[in-house]
Amino acid sequence: MEKNLNENICEETLFASIFNKHAKDLNNFLYYKFGEALNPADKVQEAFIKLWENCAKVTPSKAKSYVFTIANNLMLNETAHQKVVLKYQKIKPKSYTNEDPQFIMEEGQYMQKLQNALSKLSDAQRTAFLMNRIEGKKHREIAELLGISTKAVEKRIYSALKKLREDIKEI
Amino acid sequence: MKHEELIKKWLDNDLSPEESKAFEALDDYQELIKLSDNVKRFEAPEFNKEVALNAVLQKIHSPEITRKTRWTTHVMRIAAVLAISLSVYYFSTTLNTNISTLAAQKTTIELPDNSQVTLNAGSSLSFNESKWSNARDVALEGEAFFKVAKGESFNVMTADGKVTVLGTEFNVKQRSGLFEVICYEGSVQVTHETDQKILKAGDSFLLLDGKIIAKEKETALGPSWINNESYFKSMPFAHVIHEFERQYNVTIETDNIDLDQLFTGSFAHNEQSLALKSITLPLNLKYSKKDNSTIVLTRE
Repeated sequence: MEKNLNENICEETLFASIFNKHAKDLNNFLYYKFGEALNPADKVQEAFIKLWENCAKVTPSKAKSYVFTIANNLMLNETAHQKVVLKYQKIKPKSYTNEDPQFIMEEGQYMQKLQNALSKLSDAQRTAFLMNRIEGKKHREIAELLGISTKAVEKRIYSALKKLREDIKEI
Repeated sequence: MKHEELIKKWLDNDLSPEESKAFEALDDYQELIKLSDNVKRFEAPEFNKEVALNAVLQKIHSPEITRKTRWTTHVMRIAAVLAISLSVYYFSTTLNTNISTLAAQKTTIELPDNSQVTLNAGSSLSFNESKWSNARDVALEGEAFFKVAKGESFNVMTADGKVTVLGTEFNVKQRSGLFEVICYEGSVQVTHETDQKILKAGDSFLLLDGKIIAKEKETALGPSWINNESYFKSMPFAHVIHEFERQYNVTIETDNIDLDQLFTGSFAHNEQSLALKSITLPLNLKYSKKDNSTIVLTRE
């Protein structure tokens, strides 16, 4: 049986390209799922170091799901399923300019509600929804990253949207 | 197209131009856009791929780290061994040297300054070798004969008093109820509670049951026990019996005997039956052996 030499992640340039391809997605996935308290960037590094240590056993095609699983487990080992509160940027996008105090107050309240509502979503819903909204990822891409079907992603995102709208209206 | 379908397509960024118009015409269009726009503000913090990759590669390519940890563990091990041996050394040097004799045993010790101490049976002596140059102090329990080399003051601490000398030969005996110092050469100073007494050659100091008792001049050049003989002069019989027990490692039971009567005489350390005779005959006592280590004394 012929063995492709490129199949070896132990080769540094290949390893680096795999890192460049998946590291940011992994980081953001961890952030949306677990928040920043547990330092997603560190877990990304740890997961890739583990990948390097096991480079002979993991093929490039499996590398992505390998680091996602490892990083996810690293997180789960530390988290006692605490409430995930994501931070939003205080600096507002440029579209909001002429603001009167009333507007600023309402704006602040809305963001508070949104923050609350986001932390109430399930990990799965929040991760898929934020990947879709913030990073503009198509359902198919998210499905690939999470290793689930497109239909499931669509369902998660839509249900997340529905829940968010309900929660914001309610409060 | 249905409301839900439109929203799902919008979520997937998959609206055709016509569908876009339909979506914009929805009642909740504004609300959805506001939600979507504001959600974008929850973006993950900047992730610097290059920095992260370099950090990872550095960790991967630094066997130094492992070598470093191995190196530090080695150092830690050496340090631990050193710490232990140093503390053992420290303890052993600051700890007192203890020498003790069992019953029927005598020993001669040379102190760090060449002073000589001969320990009688059932006695113990302790001194600190590392502090010897500062203070020639020994603690004594029992009986010992000292030949002290000339030098700074030499102190013998006992439970009953302190004997200070400059360089001389003297015997110290401290047994229950008995504290006796005999000076054979030079001079010694005996401190008992608040009393101080200087002994010249031939003088002795005797404390019996708390009372200081005067004694005549000592003419011997050294204590008799050094030559394997215990000599007593007007000594309560109880102390004679105790000394006998120590020298022969036996127990003596007495029956209806006056232990306070005074005894003058001696017994040898190397022949039990003869020694027994020498302490019993003068007082008209009989002795019998109960077993190997018990002797019973009775009135004749």
